[in-house]
Amino acid sequence: MVHTQTPKAKPDRMFFIASAIFVLMFLTARLVLKEIELPMFVKIIITILAVGSFAYFLIQYARGVKMLDELERKIQLEALTFAFPLTMVLLMTLGLLELFIPLSKEDWSYRHVWAFLPVFYYAGLAIARKKYT
Amino acid sequence: MKNRLHVLRAEHRWTQAELAEHLGVSRQTINAIETEKYEPSLSLAFKMAKLFGMSIEEIFQADDNR
Repeated sequence: MVHTQTPKAKPDRMFFIASAIFVLMFLTARLVLKEIELPMFVKIIITILAVGSFAYFLIQYARGVKMLDELERKIQLEALTFAFPLTMVLLMTLGLLELFIPLSKEDWSYRHVWAFLPVFYYAGLAIARKKYT
Repeated sequence: MKNRLHVLRAEHRWTQAELAEHLGVSRQTINAIETEKYEPSLSLAFKMAKLFGMSIEEIFQADDNR
């Protein structure tokens, strides 16, 4: 998310911090859950912590959006309007392909699709920004 | 929709950033309105009208070609 030039620096910083915490927590959790043998309850706690950091990220995002001005909100909406259907198209394409091609779990499978959403979101953000500048 | 925002801002010798601060929006928003890439909400249009001491119709004119 980004940033009007009016005095809105703090929400941006909080959004960045929340994003960094989420990415760090998610990657650490993924590594630990995959590589280290731990009791089940510890694995569940690690999973909850990773999900919790994502919830914190979403709260910061929602707070940030509330503080944006009307044009920036429109840009955010257009970015999501671009990203969400594109992710759905990717998901459906993979679903159809998987009916006749065995897709490798490690390369292309549903578990990786969510990662494309932020990529499409930033692409949508760039397109929307270009439209209004 | 056409508008006279650029002219009115120049008359007040305000930069886009200064006008943005008066209206509580970003400089990009002012720029997008001036270049007619974005049409402001009714509440922002009212704020502009109040700031310049004019009616909304004196600042914004409907573009008949659309």
